Amino acid sequence: MLKKSKNIMKTITNTNDLRKLSEKSKEENKKYDKIVTLCAGTGCCASGCLPVITSLREELERKNLTQNVKIRTTGCHGFCEQGPLMVIEPGNIFYCHVKPEDVSRIVSQTLEQDKVVEDLLYMDSISNKKIPYEADIPFYKLQDRIVLIQNKLVDPCNINDYIANAGYSALTKALTTMNPGEIIEEIKKSGLRGRGGGGFPTGKKWEFCRKAKGNPKYVICNADEGDPGAYMDRSILEGNPHAVIEGMLIGAFAIEAEHGYIYVRNEYPLAVNHAKIAIQQAEELGLLGKNILGSKLSFDIKIARGGGAFVCGESSALMVSLEGKVGEPRPKDIHTTEKGFMDLPTNLNNVETWANIPFIINKGASWFASKGTAKSKGTKIFALTGQIKNTGLVEVPMGISLRKIIYDIGGGASNGKKIKAVQTGGPSGGCLPEKLFDLPVDFEALAEAGSMVGSGGMVVMDESTCMVDVARYFLEFLIDESCGKCVPCRVGLSRMLEIINDITEGRGTEEKLNLLEETAQTVSIASLCALGKTAPNPVLSTIKYFRSEYEAHIEEKRCPAGVCRELIHYSINKDKCKSCGACLKACPHNAISVKEKVYIINDEACQKCGICKESCKFNAIDIK
Amino acid sequence: MSEYVTLTINGAKVKAPRGSSVLDAALDYGICIPHLCHMRDLTPIGACRLCIVEVVTNGKSKVTASCTLDVQEGMVILAHTEKILKARKNIAEMLVAQAPNSRAIQDIALKCGVKQVRYPFRNDNCVLCGRCVRACTEIWQSKSLGFVGRGKERHVALPFDKRPEFCKRCNACIDLCPMTITPCPGPMKKGEEALCGLCESQLSMAQDMQDSCVDCRLGEGFDCVRKKP
Repeated sequence: MLKKSKNIMKTITNTNDLRKLSEKSKEENKKYDKIVTLCAGTGCCASGCLPVITSLREELERKNLTQNVKIRTTGCHGFCEQGPLMVIEPGNIFYCHVKPEDVSRIVSQTLEQDKVVEDLLYMDSISNKKIPYEADIPFYKLQDRIVLIQNKLVDPCNINDYIANAGYSALTKALTTMNPGEIIEEIKKSGLRGRGGGGFPTGKKWEFCRKAKGNPKYVICNADEGDPGAYMDRSILEGNPHAVIEGMLIGAFAIEAEHGYIYVRNEYPLAVNHAKIAIQQAEELGLLGKNILGSKLSFDIKIARGGGAFVCGESSALMVSLEGKVGEPRPKDIHTTEKGFMDLPTNLNNVETWANIPFIINKGASWFASKGTAKSKGTKIFALTGQIKNTGLVEVPMGISLRKIIYDIGGGASNGKKIKAVQTGGPSGGCLPEKLFDLPVDFEALAEAGSMVGSGGMVVMDESTCMVDVARYFLEFLIDESCGKCVPCRVGLSRMLEIINDITEGRGTEEKLNLLEETAQTVSIASLCALGKTAPNPVLSTIKYFRSEYEAHIEEKRCPAGVCRELIHYSINKDKCKSCGACLKACPHNAISVKEKVYIINDEACQKCGICKESCKFNAIDIK
Repeated sequence: MSEYVTLTINGAKVKAPRGSSVLDAALDYGICIPHLCHMRDLTPIGACRLCIVEVVTNGKSKVTASCTLDVQEGMVILAHTEKILKARKNIAEMLVAQAPNSRAIQDIALKCGVKQVRYPFRNDNCVLCGRCVRACTEIWQSKSLGFVGRGKERHVALPFDKRPEFCKRCNACIDLCPMTITPCPGPMKKGEEALCGLCESQLSMAQDMQDSCVDCRLGEGFDCVRKKP
């Protein structure tokens, strides 16, 4: 949804003015009897929230309720599976799958008479009961939402909304009561670690950058999120861009940086637009620019749009790309905090990391450190996708078990099948088997198991997935996205794909599997950047945990999950077949013949397209 | 601040000018770290990864390329640990499978102990070491060559695939290219590729003296020790 910035505001030059504005905005919200919060994140936009918003606006005008009811269009709430989402306050009433034709009922019943519209409520599949309140829904209830909850409370295109929700109060606190050293100490004490995948301690990074020689210094927000199925950063930047800006301002003050960049994927038009509006509004209000809130801090932020290269999410490649050159990583023996963008000290953090900063400053390091495990503190947002019931964004404290995320919050498998594995950490994360689901989700535990927290992707796979095929899929993705600079990543990955293709097509041997493992290890040791170093993870982890599947492909020339085309055979189960002839008609390759009402699939002509299986109503077609 | 720093490479105390790379320091002391893309006087890019070493700090070791690693006082470098040798051998194997028609790469494979190539040969003309690109850009300030494309599409090309007017015809690109000198028995046709492995003297040297670099000009002069043409 695209919006223009609202009317020009009065500049704020001191903290008193900011407090007054916050109180004024709060008062304004109190004028309304009801606030209807509608999710207008990319997910809900795709499932059709825009027509709902339009018809709600029209309906309110028609009934003359615009003075009493406020519509707040916000960023992503996280429960994307159920979109478009609507929450009505006060009352915390939660409607899902809202359509434009439902709007008149919502207005006449809920808004006018405080009655709940039953059929729009969320149906809990475990208890089989309708749940009227958002806070009671297991998906939300079991989470610990610190950053994500803000998405629901603020209109990303209205800075006053953010300020009314204690926005920029952390900046005020930092500027008036703390010095840069104290801020860095606080961040260090909180134990916050980079949320983009590296897991580097944020406070330490800031300290390095602060101590580095060179002027001016830069602060960069990495919003070049490219993992398939992951969209945490997009949702934060779309839904709450000011939190990121506030975090960057505090960082800039601590590091004494003068300029900032938000490097965001151009494939995220809504995030780009909202960030632009937010920066413009912050500038108009004087929260970006010279002598912010009357302090010494002068800071500006520019937006740089990425060209779609996955590797540009790597910090050194991102900075090279920002300079206008080809985005290729460089060796990081000298840290980017010393020589980064334009060879000047640069502090780069991920969107989620920046968004956590205001909370740490406001609530204190010990509050933040009380969540999570010994070495991984705070909460982390994960994008739960794949063959699971409740896809969406979940924010959980570090150290929660995978089982809790997948079964309790995620609701288990979507189609009644058994869950087999979960792939964490994006394309270069590893696949963890069901037996390891009790592992705590923290940086060390996942790395030890051969996967990683990464940026927070979580793809759940059920038993119909072939793990060799999964490894092949991710390898293909990474080969496409490798920059091609260093030999292990460019040549090594293509050799690995060559071997995996041999295995899935029935030419695998034991030696080839060993060579695959050796090549994978070489790539992970010797590659130049983190993309190459982590690229073999899907292969190594599937070999480690699902070796029997590889062996079935190699020794028995059989794909246990029935996925790898060259290794599967379709046949008709005579006992189940009712001789209806549907498969015969459906087969595009004329591979099915009939003799005296007995249907047979000719293996040579069969192209394994699976159309016959789809057409059979009696489930009489077997795959072996 | 002194002009020189002292570090240890494979246990040997090495003195090197501040700002030089670990690889150069090692080579100056006759410690052989095989390398391909590195050339003195050109900016290191760390592309071939043959020169990987382990850097030990506080008991933890980290693998990185020695050509892009600057020497530092008290640095501890291990260039020939088992882990490094295995990975380096594997990289050399990949390189020779990719481009068997290069004497330099055949030599490197030999030096790294490759005795058998397990990957199907590909017979490429270029291994993207970037020597030509950097020489053209940095030494001759000509910028007639550059990398084009990403990942598997990456290749070296002239601007718009035409020799530009500003090309000085210096032939540095050809002189520095590891692909221009074929293995001693002559160019290998597609389907006939093999690991050369003819240099027995080098073979024994590779096995017996991992550290030794005396008279070994791998990746620098592209010479076969036994069969000089």
